[in-house]
Amino acid sequence: MKATAGNQYLTLVRQGLRAEFVDKERLISPVLFALTMLVLFAFALGDLDQSLRIRIYLAETLLTAIFALQISFSRLFEPDRQDRVFDLLRTYPISYTALFLAKYTLVLILGSATLVPTMLFGAFLHQSATIQLFSWTVLGISLLALAGLGALGVLLSALTLKAQARQILYPLLYFPMTTPVLLAAVQSARLCLEVGLGSPELKSWLGLLAAFDTIYITLGVLLFTELMVES
Amino acid sequence: MLTSEDKREFVIGSFVQLLIILHWLMAFFYAPVDVNQGPVYRIMFLHVPSAITAFGSSLGLCVFSVLALRDRSERLMAWSKGTAEVGLIFTLLTLATGSIWGRPTWGTWWTWDARLTTTFLLALLYAGYLLLYGSMAPGTGRTRVCAVLGILIFADVPVIYKSVTWWRTLHQPPSMIREGGSTMDPEILWTLVAGILVMCIYAAWLVRVRGRNIMLADEIESASYATLSAP
Repeated sequence: MKATAGNQYLTLVRQGLRAEFVDKERLISPVLFALTMLVLFAFALGDLDQSLRIRIYLAETLLTAIFALQISFSRLFEPDRQDRVFDLLRTYPISYTALFLAKYTLVLILGSATLVPTMLFGAFLHQSATIQLFSWTVLGISLLALAGLGALGVLLSALTLKAQARQILYPLLYFPMTTPVLLAAVQSARLCLEVGLGSPELKSWLGLLAAFDTIYITLGVLLFTELMVES
Repeated sequence: MLTSEDKREFVIGSFVQLLIILHWLMAFFYAPVDVNQGPVYRIMFLHVPSAITAFGSSLGLCVFSVLALRDRSERLMAWSKGTAEVGLIFTLLTLATGSIWGRPTWGTWWTWDARLTTTFLLALLYAGYLLLYGSMAPGTGRTRVCAVLGILIFADVPVIYKSVTWWRTLHQPPSMIREGGSTMDPEILWTLVAGILVMCIYAAWLVRVRGRNIMLADEIESASYATLSAP
């Protein structure tokens, strides 16, 4: 098989997925963490007022998803590091853009596996007879947020790879940078549920979300190579 | 013994301090008392220039990071670190003066307002950058990683700047640069413009001094390693 960037990308995605499925604990733990958090939130908040239900549901589930995704993202290069795959990969003439896109695809797949159950379970916990919380549009907005967070996650994971105290540094850098994406996602999802798709503000919030997705993906593609080149 | 470079720094430093004193005199004696807020509004002459310098530092950090990536230069990296330190100091100064100003005008030291929160996040990002820098061994690896983070931090600044417009919060919207011209009294406006200029000059001087100190510290560190490893 000719080693084009496309072939390299597909091979790296397959290899990444295999590595993830070998250690199922890595796959399941973020979902379990998210579900536990939602239950704890539900206990702490108790019975909610109808007017607050939508806002609490969105803030709680999206924030929980971001916490859970951080667990996945920060360990993205762990299988490669443990088996020295990472050092070996850097000795091969592979395209680092293909490596970034492969890791990004992996993050999107694993992130969706965490995000979708979190959104569903959150809606289930806060459901009421009068308010429909689960919506495909809100799920779409959450996936749009995942697109930006995933690119940022891959980049920061590569960035903190060689740093000491990686476990502390990763959340310290990741959480402040997720703010624009989180706010845009929460606000646009709130408008969808409270006002509907006809809301005039919705377009600008979605625009902000898409803009940050584009910024993080573009910076990811451009800067990942710089992080991979051996000193 | 003082070198000619030290003397030059002393002269430049004294000139910058003189500019600060002149601006303070302008703020206290040239600018009139605000009809609504009284003399307390004068803290604005420290708060607004600090905020602009804090945001400007992120632009400086981005520029130095891009140049450091291009030239693989440790010298530019020292300037980047100096800019992040200065940026952190001015961000903290912005938060402190904003909090002091908020007490008599809003009735609270702190509120989870969009501009305040996003500015606080900028402080966390600068702190994260400095922690990452400190946690890595000197060399081209650190240059690349920190430069990438410097560029990422700058990507978040537009959100902080536009937050008051997007979220229509407690923090007042821009009153200096706006459609239809400034709403400020010309004397207040000139004092503020002078303050911004002085603060930017002060920050540039601090970056210059700090960058030089960091380079000297690196040279001493390298020399001590060389001495220790000598037969």
